[in-house]
Amino acid sequence: MSFEQIIVSGNAEQLEESELSLLETLDHVLNSGLVIAGEITISVADIDLVFLGLNVLLSSVEAAQEVLQRRVTDAK
Amino acid sequence: MSLYLYCLLDDDFIVENVIFSGPREGISGSLVTLFIPEDFALLVSDFAGTSVPVTRENVLLHAAVVNAVLPETTPLPFRFGTLTTKAALDSFLAARSQALRAKFELVRGCVEMNVKIIWNREWIEEKSAVEMKPGTAFLTEKRRQIFGSEARVTEATKIAAWLEERLSNSIRETRVNTNTTDKLLVTAAHLVERGSIDEYRSRLKNAQLERPELHFLASGPWPPYSFANIDLEFKTQFGVS
Repeated sequence: MSFEQIIVSGNAEQLEESELSLLETLDHVLNSGLVIAGEITISVADIDLVFLGLNVLLSSVEAAQEVLQRRVTDAK
Repeated sequence: MSLYLYCLLDDDFIVENVIFSGPREGISGSLVTLFIPEDFALLVSDFAGTSVPVTRENVLLHAAVVNAVLPETTPLPFRFGTLTTKAALDSFLAARSQALRAKFELVRGCVEMNVKIIWNREWIEEKSAVEMKPGTAFLTEKRRQIFGSEARVTEATKIAAWLEERLSNSIRETRVNTNTTDKLLVTAAHLVERGSIDEYRSRLKNAQLERPELHFLASGPWPPYSFANIDLEFKTQFGVS
């Protein structure tokens, strides 16, 4: 089994190394995981590509659709 | 000096003496080391400061360190930005040993797979047959703003149940959220045994074919981020529950 994290969109097309993969990673690492204290202090002063919360999810979808659309256009 | 925590590992990892092959440099350039207090092992690095900047580099480093052990064992990943001291960590592990053991039992041999279901459609509320008083109308609208359209919530619940039914034979545990947004109806995290990933993907593909009006976004395998926390114990500890 490959442990490469694969993102599959609605039509089963695989989007490797896309923005989508990054956004999915952000979603996991920032929104879930074991917490050892009552709260975690993180600084967003140097934020460069993070959309916290649900915006990540919707951005993921939009990014997926854009990438798919580009691929369809390029293929023509 | 604080300890930055990437993930917790159980005895299997120590017994098998697996050499960590992930990034040697972690957050802020400190060396990633295997720290082994009694009964558990952790991947940690030193960190000078009180908070961890959220940057693309830092987030990806955290993910890369945790991902590096996934082919060998199933870790309990810490959330990004977890800083502690050695004393606090020892105290946490001693106090929560049983709960952490239970978590390892749950996730052992598994990975996390994720599905997000999107439906681009308008959610039109049926008008109430009864004329609402201004106060009731106000509260109803507030409720809609907070919880979303009732029609959407109902549909999301149905879709979540349908998905669960289609995949249930391939998953050990599920975390589902249907209280999302107008477009994003369902987010589901599935704990899947490593040997069942192909079966899971096949079932998911069949489910997709069954509901062409829905857009699926599937990803994985991931470390079990959605199954790692021990919420109840924390709530009890801080007197919230």
